[in-house]
Amino acid sequence: MKCRRFGGKGEEDMGALSKLSQWRTLAREAAERTAILAKFLCILHVTNTYICTPTLVYGPSMLPTFNLTGDVLLVENLTVRMGKVRPGDVVLVRSPENPRKTVSKRILGMEGDRVTFMIDPKNSNRCQSVVIPKGHVWIQGDNIYASHDSRNFGPVPYGLIQGKVFFRVWPLNGFGSLRQ
Amino acid sequence: MGVSNVKQWSRIVKEALDRAFFTAKFLCLLHVSNTYLCTVALAHGPSMLPTLNLSGDLILADRLSVRFGKVGPGDIVLVRSPQNPRKIITKRVVGMGGDRVTFSVDPKDSRRCETVVVPEGHVWIAGDNIYASTDSRNFGAVPYGLLQGKVFWRATSFHITLGLY
Repeated sequence: MKCRRFGGKGEEDMGALSKLSQWRTLAREAAERTAILAKFLCILHVTNTYICTPTLVYGPSMLPTFNLTGDVLLVENLTVRMGKVRPGDVVLVRSPENPRKTVSKRILGMEGDRVTFMIDPKNSNRCQSVVIPKGHVWIQGDNIYASHDSRNFGPVPYGLIQGKVFFRVWPLNGFGSLRQ
Repeated sequence: MGVSNVKQWSRIVKEALDRAFFTAKFLCLLHVSNTYLCTVALAHGPSMLPTLNLSGDLILADRLSVRFGKVGPGDIVLVRSPQNPRKIITKRVVGMGGDRVTFSVDPKDSRRCETVVVPEGHVWIAGDNIYASTDSRNFGAVPYGLLQGKVFWRATSFHITLGLY
């Protein structure tokens, strides 16, 4: 009398079924985690667009305002989108020479303004004057001896401005809103 | 009686909050896909005749091509106008950075042509209807950073056409 059946096809079926259900729970867990990640990224994107976003700037062109080795700044773009950027503001601009690069410079003139600048301050005292065309701004680094800006590539269209810098987070001894 | 009123109110408030959150999440998703994937635009005006209509065409533009640098001559793109940053215009890319572009300066009045080398990091855009288009012939090459999207689909008024441009 055979009461038990061990081995054989029955156990293989049970193994395959349990593996399938294991995969299904794994897939469901992966989908849940992906959904949470997607929701988090969505919220991050909305915050970056409508509130503010942090950014790291480095380089010598904005000395002494920003350090050579790197500053963490908070950037908002509501001001840019409302068109309320004014001369004296420090902004992030997408470089017109290399669209993958974003630079931080100060706005010295808006459309219609006449801007006078030193062409090559290291070598001569020669100045030049330019009227900024419609829809453009003139950007210049605070460190005119080591800055590649509108003196080199001309006024940039307003549409390239990505955001206005309003607060410094790091280094801590410069923590606080930026003063003119 | 008062306690059951409060309970009902709290239930209604909770349901309202749930629906509000759901709507907020849906709008977030819509906003993100509009910014990073694909955007809808209504293009009107005479500058892209006969490709696009005068009175308005619904077009879809994808944002990934611009972000990954896959835009080339012949593509129709959405560009933020360098003369008015609040306006987005639809034009065709004629040349990329480094290309040499020849164009007729004022086709209505004369046949004079000019040749220009497009600077690096810039694109030369032109409307298909050169007699009625304000484009790079007027304001010069535009920086690549002003490109907003590449048009890949157009819906005409009475039938949907899958147009690969």
